[in-house]
Amino acid sequence: MAAIIFLLILGSLIAMWSGRTRLATVLFFVSLLAVALLFNHHVTDALGLSL
Amino acid sequence: MTGIRTVVAHFCTLAVCGVLLGAFYEQFAGTVLPCPLCILQRMAMILCAAGPAWVLILSTRREVGPLDYARGYGASILAAVLGAAISGRQVLLHIMPGDPGYGGAVMGWHLYTWAFVVFVVVIVVSGLHLMLGLPSREERLPWPRLSRTVFLVLVLVTAANAISVFALAGLHLFLTDDPTSYLLFEDLGWSSTSAGTATAPAGIGD
Repeated sequence: MAAIIFLLILGSLIAMWSGRTRLATVLFFVSLLAVALLFNHHVTDALGLSL
Repeated sequence: MTGIRTVVAHFCTLAVCGVLLGAFYEQFAGTVLPCPLCILQRMAMILCAAGPAWVLILSTRREVGPLDYARGYGASILAAVLGAAISGRQVLLHIMPGDPGYGGAVMGWHLYTWAFVVFVVVIVVSGLHLMLGLPSREERLPWPRLSRTVFLVLVLVTAANAISVFALAGLHLFLTDDPTSYLLFEDLGWSSTSAGTATAPAGIGD
């Protein structure tokens, strides 16, 4: 999962490099959301509440 | 002011790359492997650096205006708030007296404490930049070749992190709380010894 998120971030950076601004923005926010969801998983996992 | 803005954008990107390379040094030369929260903080740091890096790479193609700066540093603030929440959580996990913390200390503080400081500094610098440092009109930034190089450094650091995490987690969906070996190599039968040991009590390392 973590490696996939790093690939999403890498995709966002490569989209910035190649001038595809909209794709870069979408990938950036998807990455941000994925990091937040993974953090949520790790926080709630110890409590037995994670999905 | 154009020069200051250029230096700040380069410095912000390179500083985050430096912190991530320092974390790599701890991972490979130190005694402890990164936990899931450490990995999440690395992701947030790269997203923090992506804001000024975006301004830099944009400046190599065309003039950049206040809206471009606002988008870049606004994105940095969003990522830094998330990163501060993650590192703050890890600080609170080890706040009890007598808790040895996770991993080694650098200048007296653990890496997650330094990460919290870095995220707060990113929020402050980005906020000040948005309040006081925006240009009134579009401008061309100097040093396009340096900007491309700095952006490339960020891309390489991100790629190295992706490879490192893949080696850590292997084909498992999530990382273990207290990793002691690279699961990919273990699953492939290439490694039978532990690559690192955590100093935190089992179960609360995170």
